[in-house]
Amino acid sequence: MKIMQFIKNLFRGGKGKSTPVSGEMTEQQSEKMKKMMAMLSQTQDVELTCDEVFAMLDEFTELAAQGEDVRQLMPLVQQHLDTCPDCRDEYKVLESIVLAGV
Amino acid sequence: MEKRTNEEWIADLRAGGEQQSLALEDLRAIILRGLPYAIAGRIAPNSPESEALTEEVVQETLLRVLDNLDSFEGRSQFTTWAHKIAVRAALTELRRARWREVPLPEMEMNEDMDMSYRELPDNQPNPEEQVGRMEMMKRINRIIMEEMTEKQRQALNAVMDGFPMEEAAERMGMNRNAFYKLMHDARLRLKKRLEKEGLTPQQVLAVFEQAGK
Repeated sequence: MKIMQFIKNLFRGGKGKSTPVSGEMTEQQSEKMKKMMAMLSQTQDVELTCDEVFAMLDEFTELAAQGEDVRQLMPLVQQHLDTCPDCRDEYKVLESIVLAGV
Repeated sequence: MEKRTNEEWIADLRAGGEQQSLALEDLRAIILRGLPYAIAGRIAPNSPESEALTEEVVQETLLRVLDNLDSFEGRSQFTTWAHKIAVRAALTELRRARWREVPLPEMEMNEDMDMSYRELPDNQPNPEEQVGRMEMMKRINRIIMEEMTEKQRQALNAVMDGFPMEEAAERMGMNRNAFYKLMHDARLRLKKRLEKEGLTPQQVLAVFEQAGK
């Protein structure tokens, strides 16, 4: 019954939420399914890794702050930022620093 | 504070002696001005935790900058490059503190899952939609079990639970880069398998978005 085990784990609800009792599938679980499909729809055959994006993040941020079309100029970096929450958080902070002219 | 070009930053930081000390002092001040943007909304500014974090991150950043001067290619302002290093160091520490007490989701060994469907009252799908969702959920999960390794499923569980990649990676004994690659491979496999079965992620999404519309 490995499939049933995995379903229960994967869609059992988020951190800090109680596990649904047997026989229930909550809205939260279908939200997770939507989240996973959204992730898959952004998936590309070739993607940059976090390290590769980090190496270009300063250049990307300055270009974006200058109003350049970074989605066009550096599409792989943009794609990674759309997919990776950790890198996206770092970009957002760096962007705010650059825009503030610190 | 002396205004420097990229070349002057590199030269001064490599110079040693007082010239290097002055450059480090100036860089420290610049990093200190940027860090509040990383801390904002994550921990209370001016708190003891914030002060300790700031000092730790500044020290770590200055060391990393000196160690990695050769990797600066001049594609941005030198200070943006230094801020980038500081931001990553700060957010890494903040994530660690935030998620330290949260266990990584475990792969429980329960077998008694009855998959009958229940939605919240204001988002109640009709019986036909319920069956459609149930079938789709089972199908996707069967694909996941067939296509993904146990490690990939564990990583997926963590990501679905909102774990930062870096934290999940560390718990699983790998770095963030390797974790991203693991997840990318898993996503690709799932996507290709869906394609093979004549499904797109958008079609699956549509099944779960029908209710309440």
